[in-house]
Amino acid sequence: MTETQNGLPGSPGAGPILSVRNARYVYPRGDVVALEEISVDVPVGQSLGIVGQNGSGKTTLTKLMNGLLRPTSGSVIVDDLDTARHPVQVLAAHVGYVFQNPNHQLFAPTVADELAFGPRNIGVPEAEIAERVAEATEFFRLGDILTLHPYRISFPLRKLVGIASIFTMRPKVFILDEPTTGQDHRTTNTINRLIHELVDRGSTVICVAHDMPLLADVSERLIVMWNARLIADGTPREVFADRAVMERTHLAPPQITQFSMQLPGREGRAPALSLDELVAEYRTPGRLAGKEA
Amino acid sequence: MQGMNVSVTHVRGTSWLHRMSPIAKLSWLLAIMAFAFASYNPWPLFAIALAGIGMAATAGILKPILRILLVFAPVTASMIVIQAIAPAICQNTCTPATTLGPLTLYQEGISHGLSLSARVLSMEIIAIVALVTTNPSDLFSAFARLRVPYILNFMVSMTLQLIPVLTREVQIVLSAQRSRGMKSTGFGSVIPSFVPVFAGAFERVQQLSISLESRAFGSTGKKTSYRQIEFGTLDRIIAVAGLVVGLVGTVVGLVFWSAGQTPVIILPVWLTVTVFLIAAVMFVGVVIAALVAIARS
Amino acid sequence: MATEPYIAIADLGFSYAQGTRPALTGITLTVEQGEYVGVIGLNGAGKTTLGLCLNGIIPHMLMGEQTGTIAVAGKDPGVVPVREMARIVGMVFDNPEFQMSQVTAAEEVALGLENLGVPYADMVVRVAEALAIVGLTGYDERSPMGLSGGQQQRLAIASTLAMKPSILFMDEPTSNLDPIGKEEVFEIARRLNRDEGMTIIVAEHEVEVLAEYADRIIVLHEGRIALQGTPTEVFSQVDTMAALGLRVPQVTEFAYRIAGLGAGPVADPGARAGTAPGLTSPVAQLPVKLSTAIEWVGARG
Repeated sequence: MTETQNGLPGSPGAGPILSVRNARYVYPRGDVVALEEISVDVPVGQSLGIVGQNGSGKTTLTKLMNGLLRPTSGSVIVDDLDTARHPVQVLAAHVGYVFQNPNHQLFAPTVADELAFGPRNIGVPEAEIAERVAEATEFFRLGDILTLHPYRISFPLRKLVGIASIFTMRPKVFILDEPTTGQDHRTTNTINRLIHELVDRGSTVICVAHDMPLLADVSERLIVMWNARLIADGTPREVFADRAVMERTHLAPPQITQFSMQLPGREGRAPALSLDELVAEYRTPGRLAGKEA
Repeated sequence: MQGMNVSVTHVRGTSWLHRMSPIAKLSWLLAIMAFAFASYNPWPLFAIALAGIGMAATAGILKPILRILLVFAPVTASMIVIQAIAPAICQNTCTPATTLGPLTLYQEGISHGLSLSARVLSMEIIAIVALVTTNPSDLFSAFARLRVPYILNFMVSMTLQLIPVLTREVQIVLSAQRSRGMKSTGFGSVIPSFVPVFAGAFERVQQLSISLESRAFGSTGKKTSYRQIEFGTLDRIIAVAGLVVGLVGTVVGLVFWSAGQTPVIILPVWLTVTVFLIAAVMFVGVVIAALVAIARS
Repeated sequence: MATEPYIAIADLGFSYAQGTRPALTGITLTVEQGEYVGVIGLNGAGKTTLGLCLNGIIPHMLMGEQTGTIAVAGKDPGVVPVREMARIVGMVFDNPEFQMSQVTAAEEVALGLENLGVPYADMVVRVAEALAIVGLTGYDERSPMGLSGGQQQRLAIASTLAMKPSILFMDEPTSNLDPIGKEEVFEIARRLNRDEGMTIIVAEHEVEVLAEYADRIIVLHEGRIALQGTPTEVFSQVDTMAALGLRVPQVTEFAYRIAGLGAGPVADPGARAGTAPGLTSPVAQLPVKLSTAIEWVGARG
């Protein structure tokens, strides 16, 4: 387990923005344990990836994080608010949840209305709403489609509008549920870039995904869910290198990472996360000297 | 988010009712319905309703039946209440049975209410007992065997399966909207969910129809059936018995128990008041719940 | 299995009735019996449209203007009714749940057979066989809606297999599945191809998997074929693929850059491709699989 980071520079001693403490979740009907006791602290500004098969508890965990579900025991604290004591609507201003299928979110007559819906609900004054919509329009490059009906635009664009409509609420934490599942390479790159930009601006971004290359690139920390339990927590490099965990959970690191781990002459080195990294390594003289990375 | 059960009402079991062929059950259901429409006298109908509960008990499904009845009870209750205080059947010459505060309960009204509710209740209970003990698959196979048009059968089957699916979709959409700060939880909040759910349903139907078509769905030739339902000798006897009883019963109902033949039912005053109060409580309860739901939206 | 072999498409074009631009233009390709073909391209490139032309959904069910010729196992899907093509081409789509309509899994598998009027005794055998191939034996009475995504997709495959097609077209079958589900589906495709000799055509984004199993790759771009060839031939053209906005297996791109073929990271895949590039001869034969990539690096020293 790695040390969790301190708060952002300039805010010494800042605690985690999200704290899951011994949270357990059992479905009210049928006594199915969706999540065994789990504790995880997310520092401000961290980019966290959550991986696991369907049914491993990862979705339950994220729904505990934004208050859609209340823990059966234990607690979840978000931005100093106990999720058990505040309704989802109030927590929504602090934690934004972008659903996997944008169709589940979008219902307003125009994209602009969609963007305004969230901030209006949480009581942002109209003048400021207009400002936030303008900001989102620029950030997500939605200028051409503002007046269009959400169902008239392509599915990848709808995904962006889905994220943008949470963005206008300016939550400190973003939870993205499988943002690139089913998307082609071009859209995946756009989402990748977006996540980087959100993190650069200081947002905490939690990404639930099966897309290992995406997470290798955007996440600084990965947690692995299996059978309603958290079974690994570390940097992507550490998690991918942990063959036992990968095998047990039937997850595979990105091909380039697996490749780096099987290359002769690279024993003892940490696995590569990206092409750039491995290519740079190969262009450096003395690369096969077996030195520690 | 998979993991749903399709059959909203089916409860598995091995009782005699479960084992009876769905065609036989349908035959008896039809018989009861014909009789219920023919009869106005509530007593035979209440007797049938009670017999239905008795059958449910012997088949081990009493609890599910009572639970489902709880949902339908207020409707039945409303008939008694409304008819008692504002009878539809008498023009000017209604006899008051008693007064309850500002309300006058009319003799004819109570009587009429009892008849209507008995009719509904008897059909309800028999239909629910039949549905609960029949696997939906078998039910549709029975329809097919009875030469119900394939398309109709399919549409009903599909609709039944879509109910839990669409309910789930509505719940997801509502979660998504709550996650965007939407506060209203009542009636009005469900409206915004219609667009996404309809869009989803539309997409589903599109892909489904292509998938079905690709499996020769549009064929006009003879179709065979994978699901074979039992319709043995005993089942045939039961089914025919049902039709006969239905026919005879309808005639009897028309002759002896039709509206013209049934005198106004006069209950002791205490009974009238008790029945009315129970029905009123159920009825008012539902109205209040509905108003609260609307107010919260 | 049916004895008819292959698919021959010449200059196929199609525009949807309500479309603004042609969905397919000038498609010319052949598929031999028993081939495993991967079709890749951006969303909207025409992969689904191409598949729907194979079994006659286009033009019988989806209206539009179709030009050129297409022959599937010697039959013209534009003329032959869809119910007949259904015996030759099985179709699996990207949303597992949207393909389910029956109350039990066994009935789902039997649906096609019922429609074709297959006798009951045969149906029982074929349903059991199909469920066995996809590993769902014993699931007969289960409700399809209650199954996991991976199981549903396997059920969808079984329901086409029951009709004993010789060609299976799968349109992004794993895009909505978790890693285990993806593995299961690709494993079935591999087995069907290798053990049953089925012709498999898969439209997918999972280029690493296709590189592993496909005999041939077809790259669609804006309705046209931009590239086709063996995985090695296609994926070695890293720059061209990038210009089309498509990925190649990570190990291939790695080899490309190590071999000094590219000055640095490939061109921004988000950039518009302009006119579709024609077939270019690969600069080198780069490895496309993990195993061959390791050998390749070893050979270079």
